[in-house]
Amino acid sequence: MTDTKTLAYLNMYAVLGTLENLCELDSKAQEIISCLKKPVSLCFDVKGGPSATLKFTNKGCRMEDGVRDCDIYIPVASCEKFNGIIDGVVTPFPLKGLTKIGFLLKTFTALTDRLSELMKPTEEALKDRAFFELSTKLTFYTISVALAQVGNQDAIGKASASYMLDGDVSFLIKNGPAATIRIKDNHLVTLKTKAEKPRAIMQFDSLDLAYDLFNGRINSLECIGRGTVEIRGMLSMVDNMNRILDRVALYLG
Amino acid sequence: MSKFPEYKHDKSHEYFDRAIKVIPSGIYGHLGPAEGLWVPVSKWPFYSERAQGTYFWDVDGNKYIDFMCAYGPNVLGYNDPDVDAAAQKQYKLGNCTTSPSKVMVEAAENLVDTVASADWAFFAKNGSDTTTLAVMTARAHTHKKKMFFLKGFYHGDFQWAQKVDYPGILPEEVANNVTVPWFDMQALEDAYNACDGDVAGLIAQPYDHGNFSDNRCASKEYWQAVRKFCDEKGMVLIFDDVRTGFRLDIAGSDHYYGIKADLICFCKALANGYNMSALCGGEHMKSTVSGVTYTGSYWMSAAPFAASLACISKMKKLDTPKMFREMGTKLTDGFKAAGKEHGFDLVVSGEPALFYLRIANDDSLMLHQEWISECVSRGLFLASHHNHFMNAAITDADIKKAIEIAEDAFSVVEKNHPELKG
Repeated sequence: MTDTKTLAYLNMYAVLGTLENLCELDSKAQEIISCLKKPVSLCFDVKGGPSATLKFTNKGCRMEDGVRDCDIYIPVASCEKFNGIIDGVVTPFPLKGLTKIGFLLKTFTALTDRLSELMKPTEEALKDRAFFELSTKLTFYTISVALAQVGNQDAIGKASASYMLDGDVSFLIKNGPAATIRIKDNHLVTLKTKAEKPRAIMQFDSLDLAYDLFNGRINSLECIGRGTVEIRGMLSMVDNMNRILDRVALYLG
Repeated sequence: MSKFPEYKHDKSHEYFDRAIKVIPSGIYGHLGPAEGLWVPVSKWPFYSERAQGTYFWDVDGNKYIDFMCAYGPNVLGYNDPDVDAAAQKQYKLGNCTTSPSKVMVEAAENLVDTVASADWAFFAKNGSDTTTLAVMTARAHTHKKKMFFLKGFYHGDFQWAQKVDYPGILPEEVANNVTVPWFDMQALEDAYNACDGDVAGLIAQPYDHGNFSDNRCASKEYWQAVRKFCDEKGMVLIFDDVRTGFRLDIAGSDHYYGIKADLICFCKALANGYNMSALCGGEHMKSTVSGVTYTGSYWMSAAPFAASLACISKMKKLDTPKMFREMGTKLTDGFKAAGKEHGFDLVVSGEPALFYLRIANDDSLMLHQEWISECVSRGLFLASHHNHFMNAAITDADIKKAIEIAEDAFSVVEKNHPELKG
């Protein structure tokens, strides 16, 4: 069972939040935002759920937590409606920023379409190595952030988080993207940077291995046995993180 | 330069490659690379070829002084001649038979004579069988619902003993589990009140021998207070002596702490590797446990009963708890001194018979894991996150050699970490 509110948090920070990485890593996304003459900020404010502001410039995108001074303000009546927006079955309606509707309809939609293309790739598209690598890297960032959302919001995820000690877990792909899962008082925060002084490490041997793991094509315990998934340090933290990752798969699946 | 050459594990990996095709995760459970937490896996053996005394040999022919003792069952030494002879004799007479062998009666009488709180014995195969029966019995006896556990508990892997976030576990299956902190009588009282008294019992290990943290020994005063609390509240006190049983006190770990549990679970050291477990209890619980529907195909197999008679007899003769306390202290004092020589603060905790180790120079266990792996890859089998086990086949020469390997492994880790000197 998944929970609507948790899914809304995951959709906000893990899915929309991956626009940050998309704009940084993808030349097509960079082309889309390059036409921006002025910075544009877009806020989704979900009643009873998450609120975040996406700030776009012609160089990139950053997500900030909460309602910031924004050009386009989209209030959403419920978590369920917000999840509907992400699924494309509910149309967002801005309360402020009608003059920027062009950004919403063109630039933002083009970015989210590109994100969908990479996050839900066809087998054919994955045959292109560059596309495969980009898709896997973006999936990694989505999962990394989703991990914190599920650990903080989902009832069972919270149980796993409640057993976690304070400190940083380094979550990374060898020669690839890295994230830090920071735990403080059983609350999880994901930083999209490599941990400097982790208490525990979980490292995938390659992008290909990470892709196979993310897609359930190989078994993680077998990989630990083979040493292709390296775990070290305070392994109780990794163990509980793994249980949360199981839940992440349920939400992202 | 390391004095002990590093082992290679080529055949272990070959077997693992074969295994993962036909066995989920290659080796599931606590003996496997995932739960065994072998860091890094390249330094550890996967499969054994043979064992003798306190040693085992892996499939690559590497020899290990084994302080994990198959995670407990090896209490007298692998292939103990007296236990094996008793079991073999019984195998020839009959093992898994339609009517249980008379040796079952003798094994139960022996436990009642040995374990201070036991007036009866109910046999099964694994520790989980007995902890599960104990919890069912507590509920049947009290007609109450909730069970108290102490933080960091491990009582096997049956559904009720797992946690809500474990794969395959329904929230309903663990909804009546209440976890309270160790050594906190007020917390126990508060938890009881929060449950409106609907509490069947408390199941606990004799002391806090959890993983990933220093083990904390209990005191007689603590257990006497818990005993009094359970008596006042009408709660069944269950001692899970599966890991510690016969290593602290031949008469049971409840006896060691000066109390009588209502129910006490044994397994690992009961028959020196022959597969059996036993739930024992006081006379006042006998009628209840008789009424619990609970049985298994191999639970009354005779050879393990014969093995347990020989094993318990030999443990008594040798006074293994005293032996383990002395040997465990000598061994871990040696480890600590070796660590100090190389600048490592090795913390030893728990009972010497089941000592727990942790290098305290960092808070991530990474240095500790490195040291453990250097020990293992040189023939000293230790675990990075679990308590260890002593056995009666260990000699002074084994302890000396173990300390030498430990010292050598410390020197390797020291060399690999020049930054620690700064």
